[in-house]
Amino acid sequence: MAISLRQRLSAYVIMGILLLFILIPLVAGALTAFKPQIIWVSSPPVWVFQPTLENFEFVFIQRQNLLHLRNSLIIASGSVAIALILGVPAAYALARFRFRGSKGLLQWLISLRMIPPIVVALPFYVLFQTFDLRGTHFGLILAYLTFLIPLVIWMMRGYFVEIPSAMEESAMVEGYSRLQALRKVVLPVVTPGIIATALLNFIFAWNEYFLALILGGRDTSTLPVAAATYVGRARVEWGNLFAVNLIIMLPVIILTIILRRQLVKGLALGLVE
Amino acid sequence: MTASTEVKPVATETGAFRRWLYRMSQKYVHWFFIAPALIAVLVVAIYPIVYSTGLSFFRVTFDSRERPFVLFENFAWVLNDTDYRVAFGNTLLYVFVTVSGAFILGFGVALLLRRITVGRNWLRLVLLLPLTIAPIVVGLTWNWMLDPLFGLINWILTGLGLPPQTWLASTSTARIAVMLVDIWQWYPLIFLIMDAGLSGLPRAPYESARLEGASEWTIFRRITLPLLRPVILVALLLRTVDAFRTFDLVRVMTDGGPAYTTETLSLYLYRTAFNFNKLSRAGAGSMIMLLVIGVISAIMFRYLYRDVERH
Amino acid sequence: MKVVLQDLVKQYPSSSSIAVNHVNLTIENGELAVFLGPSGCGKTTTMRIIAGLETPDSGHVFIGERDVTDLASKDRRVAMVFQNFSMYPSMTVYENIAFPLQVLKLSKDEIDRQVKEAAGLVGVGHLLQRSSRQVSGGEAQRVALARSMVRRPEVFLMDEPLSSLDAKLRIQMRTEIKRLHQETGTTIVFVTHDQEEAMSLGDKIVVMDHGNVQQVGTPQEVFFNPRNVFVANFVGTPTMNMFDGTVKPNGGGLCVDLAGIELKLPERFPGASTGMPVKWGVRPESVKLVDDGQPGDVPGTIELIEALGSRQQVFVRAADKLFSAMIDALHPVRVGENVHLRFDHRGTHLFNAQTGLSLAEPH
Ligand SMILES: Nc1ncnc2c1ncn2[C@@H]1O[C@H](COP(=O)(O)OP(=O)(O)O)[C@@H](O)[C@H]1O
Ligand SMILES: [Mg+2]
Repeated sequence: MAISLRQRLSAYVIMGILLLFILIPLVAGALTAFKPQIIWVSSPPVWVFQPTLENFEFVFIQRQNLLHLRNSLIIASGSVAIALILGVPAAYALARFRFRGSKGLLQWLISLRMIPPIVVALPFYVLFQTFDLRGTHFGLILAYLTFLIPLVIWMMRGYFVEIPSAMEESAMVEGYSRLQALRKVVLPVVTPGIIATALLNFIFAWNEYFLALILGGRDTSTLPVAAATYVGRARVEWGNLFAVNLIIMLPVIILTIILRRQLVKGLALGLVE
Repeated sequence: MTASTEVKPVATETGAFRRWLYRMSQKYVHWFFIAPALIAVLVVAIYPIVYSTGLSFFRVTFDSRERPFVLFENFAWVLNDTDYRVAFGNTLLYVFVTVSGAFILGFGVALLLRRITVGRNWLRLVLLLPLTIAPIVVGLTWNWMLDPLFGLINWILTGLGLPPQTWLASTSTARIAVMLVDIWQWYPLIFLIMDAGLSGLPRAPYESARLEGASEWTIFRRITLPLLRPVILVALLLRTVDAFRTFDLVRVMTDGGPAYTTETLSLYLYRTAFNFNKLSRAGAGSMIMLLVIGVISAIMFRYLYRDVERH
Repeated sequence: MKVVLQDLVKQYPSSSSIAVNHVNLTIENGELAVFLGPSGCGKTTTMRIIAGLETPDSGHVFIGERDVTDLASKDRRVAMVFQNFSMYPSMTVYENIAFPLQVLKLSKDEIDRQVKEAAGLVGVGHLLQRSSRQVSGGEAQRVALARSMVRRPEVFLMDEPLSSLDAKLRIQMRTEIKRLHQETGTTIVFVTHDQEEAMSLGDKIVVMDHGNVQQVGTPQEVFFNPRNVFVANFVGTPTMNMFDGTVKPNGGGLCVDLAGIELKLPERFPGASTGMPVKWGVRPESVKLVDDGQPGDVPGTIELIEALGSRQQVFVRAADKLFSAMIDALHPVRVGENVHLRFDHRGTHLFNAQTGLSLAEPH
């Protein structure tokens, strides 16, 4: 495509402005996490200061947010692991086998993604009271599965469709059972897809607030719920809040950077397929 | 040259039961893979839906002993509730504005990225960032940015000689501010899908169109858009469904205020159930919401599949 | 090992037509049998049933004396080369070839020895450490061949293994498969839609259409004695000239009336009788162009000439019909020239127009 220099230049300029819009709030917020309390808020904004870790000290030690970090980790990785274990085989079958109602089943499973969380929250709330699941990690994991399983099936099916079925059939003729064939020849090929799927699901579970707020007990509330507690009626503890925000953001951003190739490819496949 | 066989079936090595077992395992092998997920989904998705549906036909609170059957009383109450209607209207507006906004921005950025040659992969990553950040963090960060006293936005405005605004506290700006932040957070989803869609476009139609001297705009309208139709529909469908249930962002930014101008369905239903203890009314309200989402996405699905089948 | 298919029927649940329709077939031990037919005729399905990847609705599969119909693929001791898949992408060439041996619990040395032997046999010995991305399509197909050999299967199944290769490589690989067959003496079932490939490879050719076996025979038999109209049309390039006609009495014998052309019928068609509607055919190779006609020759005009290297295909219009003739490229012809067609009687065919079956005496 022949693009004039002016067109190209304007593309870079627009992109630059956009990047400022994305990065300024994130960077300014992150900086505040390292500011001493007296300059948490200030007008005009302070950009140069002596960074301090006192906010992190406060949130981790006074407010015990380390516990919430632990909860978030347990719940997010637990629900992702279970969703993968249940969803990946189903995605495989829905990609491979055509049987009566297979198309309908797939559409139905995917459409479960559309359920408003409030529809799930009410029954789970009552159910958790009955079975004493409120205040357990398992309860929240269960609730997250409602949204994670359809997402896993949707994304992973895209990967399996891309792999010729002759691959596992060849192994089956060569002396392996279907399960062995899947483990030895298909699994290595879909691993990038599983990683992308796991990451996206992890982001969902890690960032989730609504269900965690309603269904999480005192001892199992997650980081997003903890973050909201720094917002008081009268006053917001900005520095402490941004310290927690940073802890929420950082793992996801780091994972995204490490796994960016798989993520972009995985999303493209899973979503467009 | 015989087409028929002279071999008689000899006694088979395997027993009749094992043969039957093999046949069955071949015929139903897919259920072996699907059943675990299906059972889980029945528990975590279907049971709640059925429960909520049931709930909405009874009068239930968290502490109620008796749960009388009231048929449509909850539905009638909810539909007559001005707040519910306001929330519904707000939600429809919210969905329309944020989905269109995110679509225009996301698609625009995807197109723009085609013209950029340096550091495209890193650019893509930064452009995706907002999507990976928790909505509650996004909301709280923008609260800080939009603060009337010390927020960066007002500082920039006054620097440009413009009057400062009380963004989230005034009825005229709260709505638009929240919607803009929603677009900021979610345009990357559209961008991602459209970027993938654009990368997958065939070359040939473009080359022949250029040879025929078609303008860029004609090419975009006549070739790019039709080819991307299924992808566009997927993107819109995903975003619409998600926008309908927005909670986190609005909850931390305005919590529905000022004067209910940003009250969404999810907020309303949350309050009805957990602040006002009217479980079954929330149930009825959420059923109506599910129905509306279902109808909208069914229509979009229909368009989508008609498209996919045609291509 | 001998392979016997007994009354196999298979219909896919999602399809309205029958993929394999009452197929009966015996492939002798050590034979190289080729399934030949247009795409969608059920070749792959039949082969997948033999491999155990598809369960037949009814019928039986025997390998040797074993009824393997309800035996899992892995226990059938067959090997299969697939149409659109050759190498496991997550493994090197070496690991690919060793893969079928790993399940057999052999010693490392034994595996190593067999991998190297098989790799040498198909000429990929120098590529063992390459990854799947570092080999060409032809090399990958050789790896697939080596992988199928190492288990010393009783039957090789090959589903269009060469169709994704370019023409030159295809012919080269064809020779190697032939060599493999001669060296191992193992039964091979080979699927192709390319009749030239079938002719050059097969001891036995099984012509299929719409899930039915149309003819089983040697390459010569299906070429020179097609059992029906489908086989006559499908086998041989360029395709046979074929016209509708009626059988008439002629002197003591019979002739066929092709609306404008009357041709005396040789004795070879005992099935023909007066008044019967027929299809008469002649292969282009059996049509000669002569300048001065004798009785029995058909006069016509040359309409089109296509040069094909050492041969040329000449289209001649005679009595409103277009005949094609395959003649030597050095034979001087030009468009518009008036010539006579002379048919070699051994190359003519006659079929019952209603049943499509050949009227020639059976062989
Ligand atoms: N998995 C399948 N599901 C439904 N129909 C199929 C499937 N595989 C093949 N068929 C149909 O069965 C028939 C035979 O197919 P196949 O055995 O693949 O033919 P060939 O290998 O000769 O091209 C075709 O009509 C094809 O459309
Ligand atoms: Mg085939």
